[in-house]
Amino acid sequence: MLAADAANPMNVEILPLATSVGVALLTVIVISIAVWPKIAKGLDERNEKILGEIKAAEDARAHAKAAQEEFERKLIQAQHDADAMIKEARAQAQNAADALRARSEAELAELKKRANAEMDAARRQAVAELEAHAAELAVSVASKVLGRAIDAKDQKVLVEQSIKEFASTGR
Amino acid sequence: MMNTLLLAAGDNPLAHVLDRNSAITIGGTTLPLSVISLVVGAIVCVGVLMLAASRISTGPASEGNARFVTKGRIAQVIEVLVLTLRDQMLMPVMGERLAKRWLPLLLSLFFFILTLNLFGLVPFADLQELLHVVTGDHAAAEADVAHATSSAVYFGGTATACFSVTLGLAAISFVAIWFQSFRDLGVKGTLEHLCGGPDVVHGPLGLWLVIPIIFAVELAGMFIKPAALAIRLLANMVAGHTLMAVLFGFGAAVLKAGGPIWAAGSITLVAGFFAILITFLELFVAFLQAFIFMFLTAVFISLMAHEDHGHEEHGHDHGHDGQAHAEPAPAH
Repeated sequence: MLAADAANPMNVEILPLATSVGVALLTVIVISIAVWPKIAKGLDERNEKILGEIKAAEDARAHAKAAQEEFERKLIQAQHDADAMIKEARAQAQNAADALRARSEAELAELKKRANAEMDAARRQAVAELEAHAAELAVSVASKVLGRAIDAKDQKVLVEQSIKEFASTGR
Repeated sequence: MMNTLLLAAGDNPLAHVLDRNSAITIGGTTLPLSVISLVVGAIVCVGVLMLAASRISTGPASEGNARFVTKGRIAQVIEVLVLTLRDQMLMPVMGERLAKRWLPLLLSLFFFILTLNLFGLVPFADLQELLHVVTGDHAAAEADVAHATSSAVYFGGTATACFSVTLGLAAISFVAIWFQSFRDLGVKGTLEHLCGGPDVVHGPLGLWLVIPIIFAVELAGMFIKPAALAIRLLANMVAGHTLMAVLFGFGAAVLKAGGPIWAAGSITLVAGFFAILITFLELFVAFLQAFIFMFLTAVFISLMAHEDHGHEEHGHDHGHDGQAHAEPAPAH
């Protein structure tokens, strides 16, 4: 039988026991002093950095949201203003158009009136000239037909007769 | 050479697992392998953790945001372990105050035990023994075979497969538990705790009849808990390594029994395959047992705190924050 065959797993020996306690305590002390503060500091700083970044991102998001709401509010206001301006412009244009049309109509009416007056005047003048000419012509013809001179009374009768005939023919 | 190999395989698989003397002698005292493993393990553990700490800590401002990034795989793994153990395990169980106080001890214990457990997975001693056989150093090989009395091996083995080592580690837990008890509860509070708590001590006189029984059980529990830590760690480390030794010993056993070499080879191949699987299990167990030792120490420490963490065992209720209660304490 080998010597190890008789070994008992539950044997307790002083040297390993004392070494275990001593080395483990020394390890704990060294690690507690030289390792964990560094690791804890690094983790805490990273944690603070991450939390800070998250907070900054949330602030930026809130700021952006507020800016967007302000922008949308201003956009809506601008749309209202634009609508009002368009409405006002349309009203002004309508008024201007109405005024222009009224003035045009007035001018047209005035022009028409003047033209009518001129036409009446021209017609009266033409009629007068025609009457005079027709009277002369009639007197001349009548004189030739009657072989005598006609007086003023005859002349007047002839002229009126001629005018009636002329008017009845529509010329 | 074959005879030496067969002898090295041994009749007793435990011979490969249990602690034995090394080739190092100081002042006439031969150091056991466990002692050397403890020292080497502590140096490696501290060294790796210091390296990781320097990589986890914040770098210079010139690095920009990259100064907050942990560099290196090992440092990242250690960071994940630390964060998980601290935030997911210890904080919920112990509460923030206790966890901050005991975190250095608990995490140091975890990483120290883990280092020792992982060292046990690397067959340093077996490689040295194999080297003795291969190089024809028969004197050394014979010394290797006489495991418990002498050895030509300088380093190796699983320190946590030695009861003396696990007992020493448990002794630290034991002291920590009592320290916490006297610090938070005081002498009177500790005695009250051992007698069943204030509800029993200040309760009806009839309860005084059970106080001696409670005291005996609680006092025994104060010793049994750390002892259980030591035995649990030892048993798990020994069991896994023994199983590995048994699997690897099948082939040699066939040869010893006069079996053909092809049979021994075939059996060794199959056993080797399963040994590889067991090695992965052992890797998991190495982490698990280190965690269990640390976690149970944390639980036992928290039992001795003013917070109700752990007092649920006795049904005490001192204004707990309720983080660690999986089950409600029984109503009085």
